[in-house]
Amino acid sequence: MLGKKGRWILGISLATLLAVAGGSQVCFLLRYPYFRKYAAQNGVSLREARKAWGHPDAISEQMMGMAVEASLENWDRVSRLAAVDRRSRIGTYYYNLANAHRGQLADRLMDYYQPFEQGLFLPVGEKSTPFQIGCAGDVWFALGDMSMAERDAMLGMLFSPSHTGSRYLRRLAETNLVSGDFEAASKYLRMLLNSPKDRKWARAHLPGAWSPQYAARVEQKRALMPHFDLVHGMDQTQLILRILLNSNPSNRMALDYLLCYDLLVKDLDAFVGDYVPSLTASHLYEEAMLIFLAAKGGMDPENFSHYNISEETLDRFNRFVTIYKRDNGSGENLSAEFGKTYWYYFYYAVRNENR
Amino acid sequence: MRTGKGTLLAVVTLLLLLGCGRTVDVQPVGEGTDRTAPVFPDYRDVTVPCNIAPLNFYYTAPDASRFVTTFTSAGQSVTIRGRDVVWKEKAWKGLLSTGADVEVLSEYKSSSGPMSFRWTIHVSPDPIDGYLTYRLIEPGFEVWDDLEIMERNLESFDAKPISDWRNTRNKCMNCHIHAQGRGDLSLFYLRGEGGGAILNRGGKLRKLTLRDSTMISPTVYGEIHPEGRYGVFSTNIIIPAMHSFGNRRMEVYDTASDLCVADFDGNRMTTFPETARPDVFETFPVFSADGNWVYYCAAPVKRLPADIEETMYSLVRRPFDAGTGTLGSPADTVWSASERGLSVCHPKASPDGRWLLFTVADYGTFPINHRECDLRMMDLRTGEVLTLDAVNADKSDTYHSWSHDGKWFVFASKRGDGFFGKPWFSHVSADGSVTKPFLLPQRDPHFYDTMTRSFNVPDLGNASVGFDAAEIGRVWREVPAEQFD
Repeated sequence: MLGKKGRWILGISLATLLAVAGGSQVCFLLRYPYFRKYAAQNGVSLREARKAWGHPDAISEQMMGMAVEASLENWDRVSRLAAVDRRSRIGTYYYNLANAHRGQLADRLMDYYQPFEQGLFLPVGEKSTPFQIGCAGDVWFALGDMSMAERDAMLGMLFSPSHTGSRYLRRLAETNLVSGDFEAASKYLRMLLNSPKDRKWARAHLPGAWSPQYAARVEQKRALMPHFDLVHGMDQTQLILRILLNSNPSNRMALDYLLCYDLLVKDLDAFVGDYVPSLTASHLYEEAMLIFLAAKGGMDPENFSHYNISEETLDRFNRFVTIYKRDNGSGENLSAEFGKTYWYYFYYAVRNENR
Repeated sequence: MRTGKGTLLAVVTLLLLLGCGRTVDVQPVGEGTDRTAPVFPDYRDVTVPCNIAPLNFYYTAPDASRFVTTFTSAGQSVTIRGRDVVWKEKAWKGLLSTGADVEVLSEYKSSSGPMSFRWTIHVSPDPIDGYLTYRLIEPGFEVWDDLEIMERNLESFDAKPISDWRNTRNKCMNCHIHAQGRGDLSLFYLRGEGGGAILNRGGKLRKLTLRDSTMISPTVYGEIHPEGRYGVFSTNIIIPAMHSFGNRRMEVYDTASDLCVADFDGNRMTTFPETARPDVFETFPVFSADGNWVYYCAAPVKRLPADIEETMYSLVRRPFDAGTGTLGSPADTVWSASERGLSVCHPKASPDGRWLLFTVADYGTFPINHRECDLRMMDLRTGEVLTLDAVNADKSDTYHSWSHDGKWFVFASKRGDGFFGKPWFSHVSADGSVTKPFLLPQRDPHFYDTMTRSFNVPDLGNASVGFDAAEIGRVWREVPAEQFD
């Protein structure tokens, strides 16, 4: 039997233990707020999330932060989170997507790590990570391809630890609301209505309860959708983007994604075929055009005018070529001045096949 | 003091009851949603077998209350109160044991006043096979996770995995099929390393590599011969793709497909020049009930995916010699795609030899996302094709199988949400009339509200297959695959 003193000591010890445990939990949540939010979006507790994804670190916290904020379409926050370039595929993916929402995809493309086309469209396949798959549909939803967005939301849910989560259910509801399939949307809205955290969102999205702002958003998304049917492979990214553009040539985001895709895979022929100077402009496109024109013998004022190539860009290109030739193709003396140009990327970026 | 304790007990009990009670929001409901009927599942005026598990359901009227449901059959009456109508199994079986139809009176108070309507559950004296196998899979596109093949007892709510991801390190597995509704003769595939076709003959499990060097792929679709020695299969190069428009979602097509026969006793694969033609796609082979014919789908090769909408499969049959395991000639076109402007897939002969159930779609070979995809039934005595209007819905209806006596069939339908396949059952009379189908009942009437996996290839069996997922795990780990040549 414990005496009075012993009971006091035991009580204080237990209280200290609880305080330490609670404090530790509070510290964890303060340090990794997005881990908690991402876990909640996936319908799992912190414990289950740790079991599924391991202990978070600064990199995973940043990635989850971008995924969470992108799902809420807080693009400024996505940009702020992306400010530190950790040279990760997902970081680049969200960096690009946030820039695209501001019409700056091309202008800022070369300012960041670009793992070729995989920073524009995350690959979805047997080698993809579940986290990657869960993020892959965000770009398709933004571009207006509801079929691809729905596919990726379904796959994201498939690979989430509890095979559900409001993150995916909301996207599945929205893709079907946009495509006009209310029967399919009903299922997801009902599930969300029965989740206290999602009830308000679901009520606002019930057909008939839309605000004028949401109705306008749906109309805007619908205008982006393909207007004709073509069966395509799931990895035929350029074809899918061209289908979107054929249906809606003013889909500037789709055009920039297509052009940037062409450039990141160094397919200049495709780029020139897809480029419509009257619909979009960027110094990136000027730089790419100069490589093409120089190679094909089209360096003349008429082309410079047609492709909106400025004198400043032309001068810089000539300087780049001069150094390149002088150094017999070595990039050593080019990186400082031209490291963030398409010319440097075109000549020196090497695909890492192990990633 | 005693009163005080009693009050406390009552309060605690009430709080517990309130805490345990579940309020489910049933919205959205009504026109344009996936819940258009006043009850879900819509069991109004369906026909059920006399041995089916209780038909639990709920009312979909969102603002209604005071629900009272009265079931009457041959003088017996049962009343259940509440939005959720959940039977005690004993009471349900007691009511069905009368052998008579069940008359139902539904009453509730809605916002516009008292409501009531009457309906009937028709009870067929023909029992259905006791077991249903199906693969549970998220309607994914190219990848999978946590697959399992389940066996459900249709007379109760008992279900068990007969193969699952837990015991096979998350391997891909394809759907389980019974031969002629027999629980002791069945087959499914475990794909990938350590996998093979798992053949169940009389409870003995074998793992088979059904491939030889001449085949374009491992075997894909097929069926076991009624005598159990042979299997007929297709080999397919399968390409998954997407539609760009609307919500047509996924399209799957073959760029090549042939037929072959597996001899399970001689461990031998046989291909035939007539069914390995490079200019013809051949797929979905099945045996006739007597095993003397192989029915399959055939289409002229097209340029795919560009000409997908011109790819039409006809229903064809060839004689099968069960003595030698060979497919004969000539091919007989049973249902011509070009004449009807539709494409056939998934033929299935009823084990009593009377009917051939198949699917028609506007084009192609993989119609699970084709809303227009419907079932058709051919009377094999006359060749007449019935359109089964009572069965088909406005979404994909396909992947059907027969009970061992040919009196019931099950099929996967995407009616409602259009995305998740669920098993529906219909009765077939001797004159070919079919009944309004009913959805596989579940213990929880809200089960399908939150189910985000499809019931893939539901298949009826007259007995349990007799193995479970742990045993399949052992076969996967320890039993070497038998080679075929």
